[in-house]
Amino acid sequence: ARPAGSMETPEVPAATYERRVVRSGAEHHYLRVRLELPDGGARPSVAQFKQLVVSALRELHGEVGAALPVDVLTYEEKTLSAILRVISSGLVKLWSALTLLGFYQNRRCAFRVLQTSPFLLALSGNSRELVLD
Amino acid sequence: ELALSRRYLLCEVVSEDPRCRQCIEDRAVGLAVRDAIERVHGDYGLACCSISLTVKYLNAYTGTVLLRCRKDFYRLLCSALPFVRQLESRNQRYPCSLRTLHVGGTIRTCQKFLIQYNRRQLLMLLQNCTNEEERRCIQKSLLSCSLTEEQPQSGDEEDDDGIE
Repeated sequence: ARPAGSMETPEVPAATYERRVVRSGAEHHYLRVRLELPDGGARPSVAQFKQLVVSALRELHGEVGAALPVDVLTYEEKTLSAILRVISSGLVKLWSALTLLGFYQNRRCAFRVLQTSPFLLALSGNSRELVLD
Repeated sequence: ELALSRRYLLCEVVSEDPRCRQCIEDRAVGLAVRDAIERVHGDYGLACCSISLTVKYLNAYTGTVLLRCRKDFYRLLCSALPFVRQLESRNQRYPCSLRTLHVGGTIRTCQKFLIQYNRRQLLMLLQNCTNEEERRCIQKSLLSCSLTEEQPQSGDEEDDDGIE
């Protein structure tokens, strides 16, 4: 028998949480790339750079590859480095096309992919180029 | 252990120019298809499809073509066929297009489909006949089409060729 008026500790509801696992991932993938042009010739402008990327896709993957939505988000003409954005389903096509590109206007060139991530924020830091004092 | 899976695509060459029929031969069709794959899917697509790409059967009178490719890459081939624009042979080129009629896993299924399809085509021609002579010819053809069973082959059934 409970004494009247005593306070029962209220039932603490069990902690609830919901766990969601997203397998489809992000919509876009971001790549930080650098174009290496060993001969000291004229550097491509941003439009020529995009044309180069699209023509690489067209060579390896045809019109279907060239139609992939690829965007050049940033481009530095001085260092020839850029951040590309591509739809996630097209990442493999883009990366393979950049890897196999060998010539720009009959000049030897190579694409180096420095970082890749489904999140743009992740490209802001690079532990490989971190300089520790 | 797993058999080498192939896909057979049955297509029809559609052309407004009647002279295109003389271009319907395996080399010309094969080159046209390869060219279309290279344009649409690039070097990678061409290399994938070319592994096992052949023209297995060809009928210049009806414009029927049977193509074979690997099962894993038949989608690349299928999607490139609408981009075939012309057939070229002996320095003559004529505009045409390829219509896909049927996709099968074996030659036999494509054969069965082709027989039914041809029968239906003959019936349609019969309806559109203008004179009695044509009518009799077509009726004779209709009554005589059948699938002859060849002697059982040992090994693969790819050599079956009993279309009448």
